[in-house]
Amino acid sequence: MSTRSHPQDGPPTPFVEVEGLTKSYGAIQALRDVSLSIPAGEVHGVCGHNGAGKSTLVKCLVGLTRPDSGVIRVDGQAVHLHGPQDAQSHGIAIVDQELSLVPALSVEDNIFLGGIDVPMRHHRSALRRRARDLLDSLGLSHVPLNAPVERLLIGERQLVEVARLLARDARLLILDEPTATLSTTEIERVFAAVRELVAQGRSVIFVSHRLGEVFEICHRVTVFRDGERVATHAIGELDRPALVKLMLGEMEGAPSVTPIEDHHSARTVAMRIGHLNVPGRVRDFSLTVHRGEIVGLAGQVGSGASEVLRALGGLIPGATGACEVAGRPARLRRPMAAVEAGVLYVPSDRQGEGLFLHKPVEQNLTVIRLRWISRFGLLLGRRSRALATELAARVDVARDRLGAPAAELSGGNQQKVLLGRVLARSGTAVLALDEPTRGVDVGGRGDIHRLIRDETRTGIAVIFSSTELDEVLDLADTVVTMFEGSIVSIVPRAQANSASVLEDMTTRRAPAETVPA
Amino acid sequence: MRDAAASAMAPLRLVAARRRWDLPGALMAVVIAIVTGLLIYGAADTSGFLTVSNLKAILTATSLVGIISVGMTAIMISGNLFSLSVGQTAAVTATMFLYALRVDLTVAIAAGIALGLGIGAVQGGIVGFLGANTIIITIGAGLLQEGLATWMTNGNSVVPPSGSSSYTHLALPLFGVPFAIYVFFAVAIVAEFVLRKTRFGRQLYLMGENRSAAHAAGLPTALLTTGAFALAGACTGLAGVLIGAASANGSLLLEGTYTYDAIAATLVGGNAVGGGRGSVARTVVGALFIATISDLLLLRGYSTGIQILVKGIIVAVVVVLTNLRRGR
Amino acid sequence: MKLAGPLRAAIRRVSAPYAILILMVAVLAVLPAVSHYSVTATNVYDVLQNFASLGLVALALGTTMIAGEFDLSVTSMYLLGAMVAVLTGAPSPVAGVLLALAVALGVGLIQGGVIAGLRLNSMPVTLGGYLILLGTTYILGHNQTVTYANYSVGLRLDQPILSIFSIRSFVSIGIFAVAALVMAYTRVGRDIHAIGGDRRASRIAGVRVARVVIGVFVASALMTALAGALLGYSLSTASPTIAVNQLTFAATAALLGGVSLAGGRGSPLGIAAGVLTLSIIQELLGILGAASYVQSLVTGGVLVAVASVQGLPAALARMRSLTAWRRPAAPPSSTAADA
Repeated sequence: MSTRSHPQDGPPTPFVEVEGLTKSYGAIQALRDVSLSIPAGEVHGVCGHNGAGKSTLVKCLVGLTRPDSGVIRVDGQAVHLHGPQDAQSHGIAIVDQELSLVPALSVEDNIFLGGIDVPMRHHRSALRRRARDLLDSLGLSHVPLNAPVERLLIGERQLVEVARLLARDARLLILDEPTATLSTTEIERVFAAVRELVAQGRSVIFVSHRLGEVFEICHRVTVFRDGERVATHAIGELDRPALVKLMLGEMEGAPSVTPIEDHHSARTVAMRIGHLNVPGRVRDFSLTVHRGEIVGLAGQVGSGASEVLRALGGLIPGATGACEVAGRPARLRRPMAAVEAGVLYVPSDRQGEGLFLHKPVEQNLTVIRLRWISRFGLLLGRRSRALATELAARVDVARDRLGAPAAELSGGNQQKVLLGRVLARSGTAVLALDEPTRGVDVGGRGDIHRLIRDETRTGIAVIFSSTELDEVLDLADTVVTMFEGSIVSIVPRAQANSASVLEDMTTRRAPAETVPA
Repeated sequence: MRDAAASAMAPLRLVAARRRWDLPGALMAVVIAIVTGLLIYGAADTSGFLTVSNLKAILTATSLVGIISVGMTAIMISGNLFSLSVGQTAAVTATMFLYALRVDLTVAIAAGIALGLGIGAVQGGIVGFLGANTIIITIGAGLLQEGLATWMTNGNSVVPPSGSSSYTHLALPLFGVPFAIYVFFAVAIVAEFVLRKTRFGRQLYLMGENRSAAHAAGLPTALLTTGAFALAGACTGLAGVLIGAASANGSLLLEGTYTYDAIAATLVGGNAVGGGRGSVARTVVGALFIATISDLLLLRGYSTGIQILVKGIIVAVVVVLTNLRRGR
Repeated sequence: MKLAGPLRAAIRRVSAPYAILILMVAVLAVLPAVSHYSVTATNVYDVLQNFASLGLVALALGTTMIAGEFDLSVTSMYLLGAMVAVLTGAPSPVAGVLLALAVALGVGLIQGGVIAGLRLNSMPVTLGGYLILLGTTYILGHNQTVTYANYSVGLRLDQPILSIFSIRSFVSIGIFAVAALVMAYTRVGRDIHAIGGDRRASRIAGVRVARVVIGVFVASALMTALAGALLGYSLSTASPTIAVNQLTFAATAALLGGVSLAGGRGSPLGIAAGVLTLSIIQELLGILGAASYVQSLVTGGVLVAVASVQGLPAALARMRSLTAWRRPAAPPSSTAADA
């Protein structure tokens, strides 16, 4: 609440302190005894893989989740945050990685939505001017204040989200993956805004996968792994390899699952996609996938990689384009049609769109093959159990868990169950896996990669998306990078390196090989 | 490596397997105990409650609402909340049954059930294929059914043709028990079997639990919704046939309070409002429970108002408790 | 003029309801010219009286729908409001209305509190509420129709002003105006739209979702009870069984007025347009001497049609997709992955 400025000199005053924070979700321990302190005027980087605990820490700090134990202190006072409003009144505000804009509301309304200091009669010229200035400073001068957010591009939405954060007058700003869909110039604008805030003595927590940005803007960086704080260093004490090593821990240098086989001999086409368009999301996507090949679609959130896979799964009604599976034209107009054509889609949103959480593992494993486990419409219990047992063994989920609700499994095992339901099915030509290891720990990730690789030995092709560079480089035979809905490059794994792929994932560039629509 | 991972997981499995102490569950048990106590006290204290004829009366009252509730259960399990027009459908199908008696009893029964099935399927189709809101569509469909029925019958009530008495068998007791009760239990058993043991039933549960996941997994969600409503419509049509046979006078007045009673029975049985969990057995218990309470209140001379009020309180309490329990 | 910005935007966004309303007004105006039916000021008065009786119920239900909820209990809250006012308002009509509002406040707080606090689906909760309130109405009226001795109050409320208005319709118009201003210009209105549009996003943004939900249910109960109380005075009776199909009318009017069932969209002005449209339709049917079942058919048909139309774009997109994903004219470049 107080707006007194903090001394810029002398020993840094810890503004926000976190001590012994612990949080678990069911069987999964998301945070273990984490302590952290953030002085005024610091940009503090937070790095770690998916599932390392970054998001949980952020959720605790803005009151979206209450920790099981541990203390959060603001200005030395222990606080209990019951919700984002509480956090705001202590001067903490956030840009969430999953956007928190309301699509039907106008840009202006979204900027001031939920702000505690916004007056009751909120459509005032003063506020409007402020919103206008913020948008202009972020390069959104072309966006009218009364445009509904749903009409904006994904990158513009992200900037509106940043504008809301800036409008909050907060003393600790949390930016959780704020740059995922932004271009280099847009990122520069965000950074300029952040630097200005820091100059005013405010603090920033910057969560990012992009190490370059971490080195560019952060003063100190904390690395998380498996829910624990591994280390905190001043940015000057680290270089890029050292930071990567901290993030990877023991797993550093783990070999990719199998040596990449030579696919240039006897390549049979498994699927051809021609001129796939998803309005507003994917532009003219053409790709040929061969039997036994694993294609990785690398792209940030909003790159369109996810939508390509959803369209393959028959989940995007408005998609247009052509598709040929195993030589036959396929019309993927509905999920059922996709399954029948031999394209099996596995969604990224495990809990929302993937699993039936309160149903037993057995039912989750057999859902795609209900026809096979029934005769004349009657379910055959023995056949169902046999199929589920076989699949469970394949994905290494204990057999005695078949009767347990999927919700009781760990994240990694849930993901295995989700993958398991599409495995070992005759008639499958292509697996379309959207973020196959989202929120899975390092060990589970290795297992899942192995399962995917094994599946391709029977000639099944895999096309998967990932926002994580390492995953694409670990698993893919062919790396396809996407940015803003278009393919930027297609390179064999052997020719891909992290730097080039990262560059392609984050750079707006004229699409090289595609015909303009 | 894999073994190491497995052994690391072992304690986690134990943690997950150990059931947490379940406060809402305990609360539920307490409430059930209190209600049972009250029921026993009421039963013992109310003259005329514990008589064979009264128990039959309860069963009869349960059976008609019960048959409709069984259909409502399918809708609820499929994740489509409930229908607000089954009362009208019951009245319309009862009228249709009485009218079709001019032809033949069998035809009349088939006509009643088929009409119910059709009315249900149309509503389900609109909900499923157009993604329209269940509640709104069923409210509108209720009004449309009222309008159409009045139009077709010119606002007159329909009576069976003179000389026809075959239908009265449907209303007469069989071995001393009203025929509707046999039908009710038969319908309940068949429906439970369909829901538990058939592919259609499994798909309904899965869709009710998570519609997006069902869609992504290739289940025919629109068709399933249509199917759930058609099943409910057929059940309602069957109830309509029995209602028509019992009243021998078909008009919209037969609508009665079937809609809200059926929803109440389904909810009070503890079926998950959001879908995916529940069973016909639960609904049967709910229907019996409500009928018993109503009967008890009636015998003790409480007014319509008290009866409705008590029903409402039961619905509210059960909805809150079941949802607490399931953490929805 | 400067203030009109958001209002204008709101109007633009929901223009279809106004177009339909204008069409209906035109039909009403043209009818005498093209037929032997006459339309008089009395007909307009009737329309506005209907607006007075059911407009607020539509506004109540519509507001809960904008917030992504649904208040099934309006049906019996309406009857209970009338019952409380008629039973207690004989000495002082104002006191009767206030008492009805006090009851409504309690009902709204409890229903909203349960729904928001336990994050329950509002349908089953308000269904229970519907039954409880209906039962209470029966009990208060001793299962009978209760008459209101103070006839003059009803007469005054309904006395034509400027031949088409009445105190009762002014009250409704006034509340609609206030609601329109609140929804368009205040934080509260924006929050209601926000929680209906995307509840998760609103929560993260810092909207106090529970408070807004409770507020919406309180407002819904208050408006419904007020309309019921005034109707009770107007009819000089209250009964648990007045069949005016409140719920159907309210839902149809709200949907006609551009309220989205998915939540987040709609405005009081649109709802007013929906109410007027539906009232004019009913009045027209009355002028034409249509049978009562035609009213049911028309209202039910409109409701089903409007509810279906909301799902139509998505359904059409699915239909379009039947033609999508077709074999290409030219085979896709096979060079793509052979780099």
